Amino acid sequence: MNDPVAIYTENLVKSYGRVEALHGVNLEVHPGEIFGFLGPNGAGKTTTIRCLLDLIRPNGGTVRVLGLDPQSNPLEVRSRTGYLPGDLHVEDNATVESALRYLNSLRGGKADWGYVRRLAELINLELKTQIKNLSKGNKQKVGIIQALMHRPELLLLDEPTFGLDPLIQHEVLELVSRARAEGATVFFSSHILSEVKEISDRVGIIRNGLVAEVAETETLIKRALSRVRIRFKHPVEAQNLANITGVSLLAQDDDQNVTLQVEGEMDALIKVLASYHVIDFETEHPSLEEIFLAYYKEDK
Amino acid sequence: MLTVFRHSLTRFIGQILGWGIPLALLCSYGLLLYDTLVEPEAQQQYMQLLSNYPPELMAFFGDMSQMFTPGGYLDTLFFSYIPIVIGFFSILTCASLLAGDEEKGILDLVLAHPISRVKLYFGRLGAFTAATILILIISWMGFVITLPKTSLDATAWELILPFLSLFSLLLFFGTLTLLLCMLLPSLQWAAMTSGLILVASYFLTSLAKLSERLRPIEKFFPMHYYQGGKALTRMNWECFGILIGFSVIFVGIALWLFERRDIRVSGEAGWRMSALVGRKRLRSLKND
Repeated sequence: MNDPVAIYTENLVKSYGRVEALHGVNLEVHPGEIFGFLGPNGAGKTTTIRCLLDLIRPNGGTVRVLGLDPQSNPLEVRSRTGYLPGDLHVEDNATVESALRYLNSLRGGKADWGYVRRLAELINLELKTQIKNLSKGNKQKVGIIQALMHRPELLLLDEPTFGLDPLIQHEVLELVSRARAEGATVFFSSHILSEVKEISDRVGIIRNGLVAEVAETETLIKRALSRVRIRFKHPVEAQNLANITGVSLLAQDDDQNVTLQVEGEMDALIKVLASYHVIDFETEHPSLEEIFLAYYKEDK
Repeated sequence: MLTVFRHSLTRFIGQILGWGIPLALLCSYGLLLYDTLVEPEAQQQYMQLLSNYPPELMAFFGDMSQMFTPGGYLDTLFFSYIPIVIGFFSILTCASLLAGDEEKGILDLVLAHPISRVKLYFGRLGAFTAATILILIISWMGFVITLPKTSLDATAWELILPFLSLFSLLLFFGTLTLLLCMLLPSLQWAAMTSGLILVASYFLTSLAKLSERLRPIEKFFPMHYYQGGKALTRMNWECFGILIGFSVIFVGIALWLFERRDIRVSGEAGWRMSALVGRKRLRSLKND
């Protein structure tokens, strides 16, 4: 991997008729990293990925994938890339194996079939099954294998765990981490903060067709807000808790029930709570919107 | 391109056999009846019977005055109405050739592989053309198998000519549909428009035999250039060339549009849809 930047976009603009989906996306993804592309539905994640593969043509801006312009060199970009669409559809009448063999033949038969079998075993997918008989989760596994089977330099995964049960989600994220360990760059979109946190080195946040923030995952977690509901055995002075750095009082139902907002780590709060008799402690992870609001609040 | 061609042709096997075998049986069975017609007494009875039908109905079965010639008989038996039947194979197959897979979301994945749009386009179009030719060959074989058992004055090679004329018409409607898929918001719209042109053309050309006033208009419709059974004795290569020529033009324009097209994801409306359903609806249809 000699390219200094695996993915580079500058002022990427894309419109669908009169609807502008991307307003000038700027991104830099470094070789060998897992980059989480985070944003709510409709933010422009899929549109960005599809521009990278020349499936759709941008109206403006610059795009480089592995140092290449996807519009001028679409075949080379695609031969070095593995792609998992957000809404995967494969021919229903084929078996998993024949579908994979066909997709492999489109790549000139680059995949090592032994590796394909190993991948299928790892995620527990039966190759002889007909696609139409597969559950949503198992279809997604087919998508994962086809994206990985030729050992691409760059993986573009559009919401790879969407609709999967937690067990399969974990397996998929494992495979993504394994691909990175073998040298691939991974760019994956999601609207679930927890999975991005789990495997990403860096995170880009897109909202309304613009990249609002690119940060190390750790930084994002530190800046993220959590909501904490605490029930005490005895009445407490809530203001004492609100005075802890990064903690603010959201609501106090009575002297024993308090809702707090915590920015970043919980450590300081937990240490203070150790001196109280706590009956119940409930944390709620923030929604993406809340994270965005946190960012915009700071911008102001 | 060969990979796409082979794969697409495999997908058509059911259709090739499903259309080819019944058409071959129809050809074979119909040809067996020819000898019952050629007896002068039988001819007279048939003419008497046919004279009782309204001319507006008989117009759809070719030139009935020529019914007892080999070409006229084949026209009435098969070639006069078969374009309206098998024409829908061309229309529906070409509608799903690219737009169908695009609307299902399959094209999104296929084109993320290192295959150019040109190769995909010609691979699939080639498979459609081959499937059409195979259906016509199977149908032709229905005639050829029965031919020695009848007194129909035609050779197996001569029987190819009406099939060539039929092929040019099917190619015309197939490629027209392909082009319409690139221009209209959905494959349903494209197939519907193409089907409408096929049916209108069939009616106009048939009724133009009865009405002088329709003749100047019907020349603008493709069925005018379709010769059917008449091609058996006097194949008009100019008509054949016109239909093939238009098909080539449609193929060229459709390719040009396909190369410049944004590939849609499953469930996403075409950009022209925005004018019909409004921006708000379009936003909600977009996957992201």
